[in-house]
Amino acid sequence: MRLLQGVERPDGGEIFVDGVRVDFTNPGDALRHGIGMVHQEFMIAPDLSLLENLVLGEEPVKRSCGPLSWIDWPAARNQGQALAEQIGALIDWDQHAANAPVHILQFVEIIRLLRRGCRTLILDEPTAVLAPVQVDELFTLLRNLRTQGTALLFISHKIGEVTALADEVTVIRQGETVFHSSVAECTADEISRHIVNGELHDVANDEAPKPQSELLSIASLNTRSVNRSHTLHNISLTIGRGEILGIAGVSGNGQNELAECLVGLRPSSGLVKLNGIALSALNPSQRRRHGIAYISADRRHEGLSIQSSIETNVVAGSHRTSPIGHGGWLNRAAMRKIAQDRLQALDIKYDGPSDPVSSLSGGNQQKLVFAREIATAPQVLIASQPTRGVDLNGIAAIHQLIRDFRDSGGAVLLISEELDELIELSTRVAVIAEGTIVGTVNAPASNLPLIGRMMVQGAAV
Amino acid sequence: MGTALERSLGIVLPLLVAFAIAAIVLLTIGENPVEILTLMATEAFGNVRRFAATLSASTPLLFTAVATAICFRSGVFNVGVDGAFVLGGLAAIFIAFTLPASIGVGIIPLAFIAAAVTGGLWLWLPGVLLAKYEADEVVSTLMLNFIAAGISGYLVNGPLLSPQSGNNVTPLIHETAELERLMPPSTLHAGFIIGLICIIAYWTWCRNTPSGFEGAVVGQNPRFARAVGISVPAVIILVMVLSGVIAGFGGASHGLGQMHRFSDGFSPGYGFTGMAVALLARNHPIGILFGAVLFGALASAGTTIQLFSNIPLDLVNIIQGTVMIFAVIEAARLMKNRRRQTHAV
Repeated sequence: MRLLQGVERPDGGEIFVDGVRVDFTNPGDALRHGIGMVHQEFMIAPDLSLLENLVLGEEPVKRSCGPLSWIDWPAARNQGQALAEQIGALIDWDQHAANAPVHILQFVEIIRLLRRGCRTLILDEPTAVLAPVQVDELFTLLRNLRTQGTALLFISHKIGEVTALADEVTVIRQGETVFHSSVAECTADEISRHIVNGELHDVANDEAPKPQSELLSIASLNTRSVNRSHTLHNISLTIGRGEILGIAGVSGNGQNELAECLVGLRPSSGLVKLNGIALSALNPSQRRRHGIAYISADRRHEGLSIQSSIETNVVAGSHRTSPIGHGGWLNRAAMRKIAQDRLQALDIKYDGPSDPVSSLSGGNQQKLVFAREIATAPQVLIASQPTRGVDLNGIAAIHQLIRDFRDSGGAVLLISEELDELIELSTRVAVIAEGTIVGTVNAPASNLPLIGRMMVQGAAV
Repeated sequence: MGTALERSLGIVLPLLVAFAIAAIVLLTIGENPVEILTLMATEAFGNVRRFAATLSASTPLLFTAVATAICFRSGVFNVGVDGAFVLGGLAAIFIAFTLPASIGVGIIPLAFIAAAVTGGLWLWLPGVLLAKYEADEVVSTLMLNFIAAGISGYLVNGPLLSPQSGNNVTPLIHETAELERLMPPSTLHAGFIIGLICIIAYWTWCRNTPSGFEGAVVGQNPRFARAVGISVPAVIILVMVLSGVIAGFGGASHGLGQMHRFSDGFSPGYGFTGMAVALLARNHPIGILFGAVLFGALASAGTTIQLFSNIPLDLVNIIQGTVMIFAVIEAARLMKNRRRQTHAV
C-alpha cells in the first residue's frame, strides 16, 4: 500500500500502470499516475467548508498572477458538483467540514482524488469509521465508480464487505500473498481459512489446572467512544482463579477499550466484580488496591514513561505505600532498594537505576512492566498484547510469567492478536468483533478454525 | 541527578551568546566591549554593596521562578504567576497597614498567610478549570493576569487609595511590619532569605515527597501516570495551588520588604522574568538560584551603568532579550510535547 503510494521504495519487483513500468519516489508521483489513497484518517481541515476542502491545495484560478490570483469558486463548485452527481453522491458544499457526517467527508476525499484525475483508488479500511447505513451508501457509490471505470483497491478485515463488494480477493498475511481468487469462485469460509491458516501449526496447550472459583465477573459492560465506531456492547465474561481467558480479535475491534474499562481508565456502564466486590464506581488507583494489574498494549506511551528513569518506572504506583511513602515523605533509599529487588526478581539486566527506561531492550522493558505490576501481589492481570515488540527469548520469559501468575491462583485476561499465543496459554478463548463477544471457545487448541472464522466474520457465524 | 544539574546550567550558553551580541553592538557604536562588560560585572558583583543590590533585584525572581517551575515540571503551562504575585502582594500590604500596629512583628506572618491564601485561591481556579474541564491553562492564566491587574488597579485608585497621596498608591505599611534590611543601606531584605527557603522547600518537595514524585511523573507522561493510579487532575490542582502560594509569598516579600506600599506597577513583569529563569534552569532549584541572581545582576547593573558611561540601558535590554529568546525556544519545545500528549490521550 505504501509502495503504491510512493511513500516507501520497493526492494524488488515492479509496478505497472496501464502496461507502463513506473517508479514512484514520492506520493506526488503516484498521484500523477492516477493512484490516490483514501486514508483512515481523513485529510480534512475542519474549519473550512466542504467546497474549500475539496479544492484545497489545487484551487482553480481565474487570473493567474502568483499570490494575487483569484480563486474561481463557481468553477470549483461546478467541478465538484459534476463529479458528485456522476458517482451519485449528495453533498452540501457549503457545509462546515466539522459538522459534516463522516461518510460525507469520505465522499469529499474520494471526489477530491477524482478531481485530480485518479483512476485507481486505494481505500484503507474505509468502513471502520462508518455506521451500517453509511456503509451501504459508500458501497453504492463505490459500485458506481466501478461501473465508470475506476479501479478500486479495497482493504478490509471484514469478509462480509469484501464478498459484497469485490470482484477479486487477495489474502495477504505477514507481507505475503497467500491466496488469490475471484470472489464468485470462493466462499467466505475459504477466505477466512486462508487468513488464519498460517497460524494453524500444532501448538501444545499445556495442561492448565482446572479453574477454581470465579474471581472476576463482567456483566453487560458497555462503553462509547467519541471518534471510533467500535464501542463495547453488552460484554459479559467471567474468569476464575488460576484461569487465563484469552481475547481474540482482529485489531481495533474493542480490545483496548475492554482493557481500559476494566482498569478504570475509560468510563463504562455495567457491572464489574472482583471477588464479589463491585469495581464499577472505582478509579484506577482504587481498582489497583483491590488487586487489578494492567499490562498496557501501548508500552511506549502508557505501560512506561519512556523518558523517565528505570527506577521511576518500576516503582510508580507504589510510591505512596510503605516503605517508600512513609509519613508523608518519600524514602528514596527504600525506593531504590525496592526498585532493585523488583528488577532482580525478574532477572532484568540494566546498567543503573537512573538510566532512562528507553535504554532497555523491548523484552526487558516489558519485563519491567511485569515486575512493577505483579510486585503488589494482584489477583487479576489484564494483559493487553503483552509480547508485542518483544524478541523470542523475551516472549518465552513473559509467557512463563503469565503462567506463574496463573499457577499462583491469579486470573488473567489475555488480549492478543497472536493466535499462537492465545492458544498456547489460554484455558478458554473469547472472540471479540466490533465490540461484542461473538463467542467463547473451550479447548481452543482444537478449535482454531472456528476462532478464525469468528474473528473475521463476526457474529455471522 | 548530576545530569539534571548540568542541564539546569543551560543558562550559561544563552548568556555567552547574549554577551557576544552585546559585544558586537558595542563595537559597532565604537565602544570597547571589554571595558563596558567589565564595568557591568563590577556594577553587579564588584563589591559587597553592589552584590547586595544584585541579590535584592533577584529576590522577587526567586519566588516567581519557583512558582513557575512547580507547574512546568508537571507539564502545566501556568503563565499566571504574575497575577498571583500582584494580588498576593496587595493582600499582604492590606493586612500590614489595616491591622493595628500594636500587634507588632506578628503582622508579618499574618500578611504572608493572607498572601498565600490569595495566591493559592487565585491559581486554584484555572487549576480546576484545567483538571475538570480541560480548559487551556495558558489562556486562562494569561487572562487572569489582566484581571489581577484590573482588580489591583481599581483597589489602589479607589477603596485602598492612600488619603495622603494623589493617586495609585495605598498607605504605607506599619514600620513593624517591614521586613528587616539585611545590609543597609542596600535594599536587600529578609525576603531574600525567605526566597532561599522556598527554593529549598521546592527541592525537598520534588525529591522527598510522594506528591512531588507524582508531579514529576505527570510531567513526564500523564497517560502513564493515570495508568499506574496517579490522579492527574489532583496533581494539576495541587501544583497550581502551590504555585499560587509561592507567588503570593513573593508578592508579600516584595511588598513588605521592598515597596512598603502597593502602587500600580508593583510587578514590572516579575512573573515573566521568573518564567524565563525557570525555563532556562529546566526547573532545577540550583539553576533557578543562578538564573535569578544573573537576571538580578543585569537589572542592577543596568540601572547604574547609565550613570558611569554613555551606554544606554538598552544594552541590558539587548542582553536580556537574547537570553529570553533561548527561554522562548525552551518554552516552544515544552509546548510541542504538551500538544503531542493531549492528542495522544
